Amino acid sequence: MTPRLGLPTRLRVFWRCLFIQAAWNRRGMQNLGFAFAIDPALRRLYPDPARREEALARHMGFFNCHPYMAAAILGGAIHHEEKVAAGQEPGAAALDYKATLQGPLAAVGDGFFWTALRPFFGAAAAAGAIWLGWPAVVGALMVYNLIHVALRWGLFRAGYEKGDGVVADIARLALPKLADRLRLLGAALCGLAAGLLALQAGASAAGGWGALVAVAVAAGGGYLALSRGAPLLPAAYAAALAAAVVAMLVGHGTGST
Amino acid sequence: MTGPAGAERPGLVYTLAVPYLLLGLIAGFAAVERKGFLQAMLSRPIALAPLAGLALGDAMGGLVVAAPLELFWLGAVNMGAALPVHEALGTAAIAGGAVLAGQALGTGVTPQVAILAVLCCAPLAVLGRKTDRLVEIENERLAARAEDQLRCHHAAAAARQNVYGLVLPFAIAGVLAPVGAALCGQAVPVLLRDAPSVETPLTLAWWAFTGVACAAGAKALRARQAGWAFGATAAAVLVAGLVLGGRP
Repeated sequence: MTPRLGLPTRLRVFWRCLFIQAAWNRRGMQNLGFAFAIDPALRRLYPDPARREEALARHMGFFNCHPYMAAAILGGAIHHEEKVAAGQEPGAAALDYKATLQGPLAAVGDGFFWTALRPFFGAAAAAGAIWLGWPAVVGALMVYNLIHVALRWGLFRAGYEKGDGVVADIARLALPKLADRLRLLGAALCGLAAGLLALQAGASAAGGWGALVAVAVAAGGGYLALSRGAPLLPAAYAAALAAAVVAMLVGHGTGST
Repeated sequence: MTGPAGAERPGLVYTLAVPYLLLGLIAGFAAVERKGFLQAMLSRPIALAPLAGLALGDAMGGLVVAAPLELFWLGAVNMGAALPVHEALGTAAIAGGAVLAGQALGTGVTPQVAILAVLCCAPLAVLGRKTDRLVEIENERLAARAEDQLRCHHAAAAARQNVYGLVLPFAIAGVLAPVGAALCGQAVPVLLRDAPSVETPLTLAWWAFTGVACAAGAKALRARQAGWAFGATAAAVLVAGLVLGGRP
């Protein structure tokens, strides 16, 4: 019968999974993080030190995935290691599982979490901060982390319980389609922030129409410049400098505040 | 302060050192959180700037720069082997520098202070990218050490090497952010006191920066119709605000 790991061990593995990129390096990428995370499970599954070392060495090989999605692979690797420990699978089964899934799940994770969900919540928090102040920031971060932690734990659990079946679960989430919508909504939130900032600038004591126009022109011109490949930091310096020079030229810079 | 001079000293040291220490700890934690541990958005500018401000006694001052910096660096993401700018280091230094300068001037974080802090400290984010490369090289050494330890049958020690990878990013940000903030906190008040005539141009420069930041955010989202969504929403909000709220 396949030995099953208790919840405390799985929780320890999940906790360590949060450190998966702690020693990210170009040779093995997340190899050290993966070995560190899976170690409590290997200690339980292989009471014989020699077998434990052999298993740990297996997991020190190259590994790279999105850090949230890596939880699913970690759960699945434990699923396979349980079978290896029971003699039902060869040691290479866990490695094959990792090698097969890391690329596709990295692509899904980067595309959904890093280029859609997190920027969406970043834009929402920023627009909220401009409109409503700090409570909006706290709210946005709480919602993001509820989703993030629930998905991370859910993926880990699904990987552990279903092994290869986790792929169907992830496919059912339809993350790429959701990512497209979040990106578009995020861009609209950036527009909301620009509009609010322009109004705020116009209403400020030292602002007026000049400040409102500065925000609007910089937002429109900045988008066009960045779309044509202008580097971000020089573009920001150029916009700030141009606004200051224009202000001086039109006579605002005569000592009035 | 009152009392004998000898009794003032610990208070002075405390007043001077503790905020920088706190800023260093927050920046160090943020540098770890953004890649090595958790990734819960706590190192993003929107969360980090108010925290850095809080460390120096003005969370609301930090919040002034938080939203534009979040949008400005919305595309700074650690994906695979790509090294983005170190937005956490830049943010901690900018927010810290802005708060310190605002306190020195007695004005708080105004648009003039904020734009000068951004112009002074934003290059630290680029420097941070270079230090991230050093961290990766050090981590390769840790990986090699872990393999050696496993060969010597020290399995637990081999696995533990991973955690040591957090030390260097913590230390780098923990030192550079307070140094950047302190330099900015010294330079900005001098500049604003010596050249009061630049206040209005600096105000407009700040607002122009916020406009570019919003554009950078929309661009970073890489949606097919991001430009339209960005422009249409901004225009709609602006027109609605002007119609409902009157002229600026």
